[in-house]
Amino acid sequence: MKPAPTLSSAFLESAGQSLPEALLELRKQRGTALVDMPLPTRKTENWKYSSKYLKLTDDMASTLPSEGKALSGQEVPGYRIVFLNGVIQPQASELPQVDGIRVASFRDLDDQEAAELADQLDNTLDDKAVQLARLNAARFEDGLLIRLQPDAVLDQPLFVIHEVTADASGSAFPRIFVDAGRHSQATLVEEYRSSGAEPVMVNTVTEFKLADGANITNVRLTMEGENVQHIGATGVRQQRNARFESHTVGFGGPLRRHDLQVRLEGEGGECKLNGVVVTQGKQHFDNHTTIEHVAAHCNSEETYRNIAADQSHAVFNGRIHIHQDAQKSNADMNNKNLLLSNGAEIDTKPELEIYADDVKCAHGATIGQLDEISLFYLVSRGIARREANVLLTMAFINELVEQIPLETVRETAHTRLNQFFDQTFQEV
Amino acid sequence: MLSIKNLHASVEGKEILKGINLEIKAGEVHAIMGPNGSGKSTLSQVLAGNEAFEVTEGEVTLNGENLLDLETEERAREGIFLAFQYPVEIPGVSNLQFLRTAVNAMRTHRGEEEMNAAEFMKLAKEVSKQVDLDPSFLKRGVNEGFSGGEKKRNEIMQALLLQPKLAILDETDSGLDIDALKVVSDGVNALRSEDRAILMVTHYQRLLNHIVPDYVHVLAGGKIIKSGGRELALELEEKGYGWLGIKDEETADSAAN
Ligand SMILES: Nc1ncnc2c1ncn2[C@@H]1O[C@H](COP(=O)(O)OP(=O)(O)OP(=O)(O)O)[C@@H](O)[C@H]1O
Ligand SMILES: [Mg+2]
Repeated sequence: MKPAPTLSSAFLESAGQSLPEALLELRKQRGTALVDMPLPTRKTENWKYSSKYLKLTDDMASTLPSEGKALSGQEVPGYRIVFLNGVIQPQASELPQVDGIRVASFRDLDDQEAAELADQLDNTLDDKAVQLARLNAARFEDGLLIRLQPDAVLDQPLFVIHEVTADASGSAFPRIFVDAGRHSQATLVEEYRSSGAEPVMVNTVTEFKLADGANITNVRLTMEGENVQHIGATGVRQQRNARFESHTVGFGGPLRRHDLQVRLEGEGGECKLNGVVVTQGKQHFDNHTTIEHVAAHCNSEETYRNIAADQSHAVFNGRIHIHQDAQKSNADMNNKNLLLSNGAEIDTKPELEIYADDVKCAHGATIGQLDEISLFYLVSRGIARREANVLLTMAFINELVEQIPLETVRETAHTRLNQFFDQTFQEV
Repeated sequence: MLSIKNLHASVEGKEILKGINLEIKAGEVHAIMGPNGSGKSTLSQVLAGNEAFEVTEGEVTLNGENLLDLETEERAREGIFLAFQYPVEIPGVSNLQFLRTAVNAMRTHRGEEEMNAAEFMKLAKEVSKQVDLDPSFLKRGVNEGFSGGEKKRNEIMQALLLQPKLAILDETDSGLDIDALKVVSDGVNALRSEDRAILMVTHYQRLLNHIVPDYVHVLAGGKIIKSGGRELALELEEKGYGWLGIKDEETADSAAN
């Protein structure tokens, strides 16, 4: 029998030493834990549809250089942090100066802050479930720390631009940690982009800790090129009455994987997770979400839409776990899927584990195609077929795009969607 | 304007239209009546270009041009408009966006400039008033949650906005209350003009009191079995279809199958 493939040791050789001692130490420990880590295969339950897209060659093991590269992202107005190949670029960034809000690069932390952070990192994610994203903790070269003091309010959204320059093969490991104090509020937008054409991996982890009453919105735009394998994980832990809202807009690639794990640990917590995923050509996108209702009286609402064209492949796995003490939980999960071609594939799976008896839990998943009769109705009014296709496809996701709280992000999404439509619906 | 010769059409291998002949001239109003399932909607849909129906024989020309060669959207741009018997609900596309896209598609086709959002809003509000639909219906999804009568008024609103050459109205009078029937009829009468033709499918002679047709045809078993003037509708109302021998013919037909 062939031995199961394991993560090549090349991926565990980390180079940069620019982090504070405590974080270097953490990184080393996490690396040791990954020696001989099995790579997901077809037989790995939560990777069964996606393992075939994963292609980690040894020349992707090196860290992409972050020096001497042209900087982008400056066109983004307001507060912004630019990560280039996993390292924050202070010259290109515009940090908020707001009372009670600390925004810093991991590299700039003093020993005590670094030690505190080392204790907190990686506590929001379930190691077993995220697998490959664990590599981030063994390899990160930098990171963004955001600490919101109690009642602090970030007056404008903070944009984090994750740029990867793929002029050579390699990987980038950006990381964000948000510690939101009681009743603090912030909106964080993550935008993933790339330039260059060599095969690279982006391995990214974002964590949110929400104290009582904190209110955080996270927007995630995944838009890297056709050469970028994206492995991302977002972990969220919420205390009493905390509210977390996430809006994902993702465009496919050779491999796209996002794990989103939310733990509702205090009563009255609430999360709303929206996702729009669009794939075409031979692209792939896999969203795995988990909502843990640990405490009673929490609400979760999840709405994901996949649109797959050509021979592309989208995967959605939504797990809701209602713990024994989580009485009066309210969980609503909805996943609708649109196949724009016979060659496209969408795999969707809701997973409910309910151990409390007094809960409301609804879920639904559908897979369909554009409705012929609706299409006929539209073209019978003189509307061009391409336009009619676009109208109906947009109708499928409009509600979610409109809910994205920022105009500029909606515009970015629309621009990319239009490119998708141009390539998918040919003029006739 | 419209010339239909020996039109045969089938759906899923089953022949529905079995040789329709019909000539409609500009300025005329034709009514088509006939029992349920006789093929009235099929004829309407075939004229509009629904590909679910296959034309197996015959020809249709619009002002001399072969209509059957045109795509649905091209037919619409050449002036064919079908008010659906069952207007389609399209949640997620606003009625306003739908109407404006349609109007602008027509304008572009005619080489006119597109209307911007504000201009169109003004026009749409006027026309919605004309069919007695509150402007709030413009904001809703296309026909989404509209009542039967509201859907029909929305169809007439589209006809008024698109100003077709040939308006085919498939039971646009069904399910309307007395006031709505008046509104819809007024709308249709507003469409009547010398260079426009109207083909309306109806079961009720009462519509024909409001919109007086030039010709009435009876469609049964996929064929037009009788044509006449307005008085034919009155006769049908009084006697039903039995006296035309439809029952017999249909029985003969199904026996033959
Ligand atoms: N998509 C379809 N598949 C199968 N049969 C169909 C389809 N569409 C129509 N038919 C059949 O074709 C026949 C004619 O239908 P059509 O809708 O044209 O009748 P109609 O005259 O409009 O009737 P009504 O007065 O009830 O509206 C019916 O027997 C109907 O069942
Ligand atoms: Mg009918």
